[in-house]
Amino acid sequence: MLGHVLIRLLQALVVMLVMSALVFIGVYAIGNPIDVLIGPDVSQDIRLDTIARYGLDQPLWRQYLTFLGRILHGDFGRSFVFGMPVLELILSRLPATLELTLAAVCGAALIGIPAGIYAGYRPDGLAAKAIMTISILGFSVPTFWIGLVLIIAFAVELQWLPAGGRGETVAILSVEWSFLTLNGVSHLLLPAANLAFFKLALMTRLARAGTREAMLSDTVKFARAAGLSEWTVLRRHVLRLIAIPLVTVFGLEFASTLAFAVVTETIFSWPGIGKLIIDSITSLDRPVMVAYLMLVSFVFIMINFLVDLAYVGLDPRLRRAGSR
Amino acid sequence: MTDAPLLEVTDLATHFETRAGVVKAVDGVSFSLARGEVMGLVGESGSGKSITGFSIIGLIDPPGRIVSGSVRLEGRELVGLPAAELRAIRGKAISMVFQDPMMTLNPMLTIGAQIGLSLEAHEKVSGAEKRRRAIAALAQVRIPEPDSKIDFYPHQFSGGMRQRVAIAIALLHRPKLIICDEPTTALDVSIQAEILAEMKELVAELGTALIWISHDLATVASIADHVCVMRHGKLVETGPVLQVLTRPQHSYTQALLDALPSRAKPGTLLARGAGTDAAPPPRLARRPEPARAGAGAHHVVVEHVGKRFQHKAGVLRLLVQKAGLARPLPLVQAVDDVSLSLARGEALGLVGESGSGKSTLGRMVAGIYAPDSGQVRLDGEPVMSAGERPHKTTTRIQTIFQDPFASLNPRMRIGDGIAEGPLAHGLVTRAEAPAYVAQWLAAVGLDPTFAGRYPHQFSGGQRQRVAIARALAMQPDVVVCDEPVASLDVSIQAQIINLLIRLRQELGLTLLFISHDLSVVRHLCDRVAIMHRGRIVESGLAGAVYDNPKDAYTKRLLAAVPVLPVAT
Repeated sequence: MLGHVLIRLLQALVVMLVMSALVFIGVYAIGNPIDVLIGPDVSQDIRLDTIARYGLDQPLWRQYLTFLGRILHGDFGRSFVFGMPVLELILSRLPATLELTLAAVCGAALIGIPAGIYAGYRPDGLAAKAIMTISILGFSVPTFWIGLVLIIAFAVELQWLPAGGRGETVAILSVEWSFLTLNGVSHLLLPAANLAFFKLALMTRLARAGTREAMLSDTVKFARAAGLSEWTVLRRHVLRLIAIPLVTVFGLEFASTLAFAVVTETIFSWPGIGKLIIDSITSLDRPVMVAYLMLVSFVFIMINFLVDLAYVGLDPRLRRAGSR
Repeated sequence: MTDAPLLEVTDLATHFETRAGVVKAVDGVSFSLARGEVMGLVGESGSGKSITGFSIIGLIDPPGRIVSGSVRLEGRELVGLPAAELRAIRGKAISMVFQDPMMTLNPMLTIGAQIGLSLEAHEKVSGAEKRRRAIAALAQVRIPEPDSKIDFYPHQFSGGMRQRVAIAIALLHRPKLIICDEPTTALDVSIQAEILAEMKELVAELGTALIWISHDLATVASIADHVCVMRHGKLVETGPVLQVLTRPQHSYTQALLDALPSRAKPGTLLARGAGTDAAPPPRLARRPEPARAGAGAHHVVVEHVGKRFQHKAGVLRLLVQKAGLARPLPLVQAVDDVSLSLARGEALGLVGESGSGKSTLGRMVAGIYAPDSGQVRLDGEPVMSAGERPHKTTTRIQTIFQDPFASLNPRMRIGDGIAEGPLAHGLVTRAEAPAYVAQWLAAVGLDPTFAGRYPHQFSGGQRQRVAIARALAMQPDVVVCDEPVASLDVSIQAQIINLLIRLRQELGLTLLFISHDLSVVRHLCDRVAIMHRGRIVESGLAGAVYDNPKDAYTKRLLAAVPVLPVAT
């Protein structure tokens, strides 16, 4: 097991290194931040001086090596726009996105999986058909539109929930969290629902397909023949049998939402990381972009790693012989 | 009440309403079973024997439905009972064991947890009590070290052990009746013999009645008191085992018996499925016959061949292994230094249980796998050496696989599939191909107009005929048959065996026939080689090996084969 973890960590390191090179080259190819940073009327001396200060006069490989060297010391550079260390900037925005994403993905799983199992258990029932119809909507209606409809319905017309912002937050370990205050939760509800809609549809359909297959399996027949109740069959056998694809999608969706919740964060003015990255792209804030993309690839690698560990936890066949 | 039979099934009819119409899977079946009696229910696939079993315990899923008839357990009517009351009977009064224990046990849960679930289904038991009972259940079916095995997962058991676990679960509540649906079909013969013997003992000891559903007359004969033969949803014959198997009254029972190779003289055509098929096309000019060597000369020679299977380790894993932080990946020696030779026109049977390496050896002979060591030669030319592209010689050796559905491309018309190889190797031109394919289809007993159909439009037996035509259309000198009849019903199996016997004679083929079925090998092959753990433990003329085995493993293997009673 230890060897396995070690191999995965080494793999992650290699991926991160490749990723950093790609990101670095890509971002440095899309434009000169000097044009954005200083006006065209500034004297040539100051211009050259600025270029030298940011190290932009060096060849690309040297800039990259300098960048790598700084990362090893935990220094991702300073934002051109905000003038503060990039790491600090990103970490100050991350909790907002993290709680939004967690609320969305967990909500989707908690509602979607039972709904999907039910729809797979009684595929011909009226409720199953209703569930499947709603899930098609979840797939096909664009996120931004659902967001706008949610705002119009719940914030403008009914005035039950606020339309944007994070609301009151509570600081734990000097990090601000919304979900601990009633006001914060009311702010969280709409954007989380908006993000959850697509995932809900995905989880429902996956759980339904898995359940339909599992219900026909000999495992379920044998369990029924042993007199197990339907509830026990679903909870103890079917849920375990369909868990692997669900965990996979949960992980992938969690990672991609964490990285790309941009649309929802913009619509609901949620001060998360998605808004930060959009702003930094428009202002060509290179250090923020690079650090953000590195962080995203790190998050993807880590979540995939955790998903792999979950597989091993769920499916004993994946545990290597001898390390039982 | 006391003189009522344990189970009485009267005019049971279970139908499936499908879009294509009503399928009468079980159509008016009646039988009764006394306490402690063992009944065999025999039939080919689709005869309705499994559905009969499921109907008894009320586990028929829509679109299936018990439309009429009654099932009485100790006088109590089970048909139409509310779901909750039926559930209380399942696993308690009547339990069931299925064919493939790998599929029936949940791979994600420990054996102990699964036994626990079945215990809880009918009793309130504490955690400690559950564990104690589960260990006792495992001990009852003779699983060694039950108190540690209880925490194992299904994949950590062998096939026979897994089936024992399933039987332990079925016996948990001391049921009055156990329905076993092909319980030994997925197992090797030696394991089958063990399970059969143990099951007989357990049933006698506990006084449990048994319904043993099987396609195999011989296993039924060795366990049942009394047998029902089923066909198209109806019982065609019922009676004591000895009487039914030695003096069958119904023509279908007689036909089933005649289809068994173990009852015919080796090498002769089996009574069933003797067809009047067209002759195969003549040898093509582009595929000249090899120079005839003297009789008995070595045609195919396998020399000290070995094959290992190992997972490829990546660079990072190798690094971590070097540092001693990870175990090296396991290595499987599938074939270990095997040598054999076949004379021209000879049929050699390669017999072994699953995992013995027989298929791997067959694939090396056919040039599909490259051996790690040693060499295979055909008329002196190497078939394929490690790392090289398949040599031209390789096309003179063709393979027929076990599962024709898996080996035929589902998206390719079978005519195109048969023509593919000959076209690729220039044996026929595009213009000649359709007529050539038609000749082969006729030769394997199929309508030549079927060339435009897809594999799913054929039955299992027809698909295997297509696979044979495809292999033979390459005009091979040697054919490797890897369990070609293992997944077929006995009557279809008889047809395919007859086809192979006929084509072998007409084409002068050299056969390497791989099988776990000793009776089929004896019927088809001149010589036999017994494989065990990657090695050939014994080989010789088929009659000599079967009648007078020398090796201890061969003796055990032959003793494990269930034998049909013979009329005297």
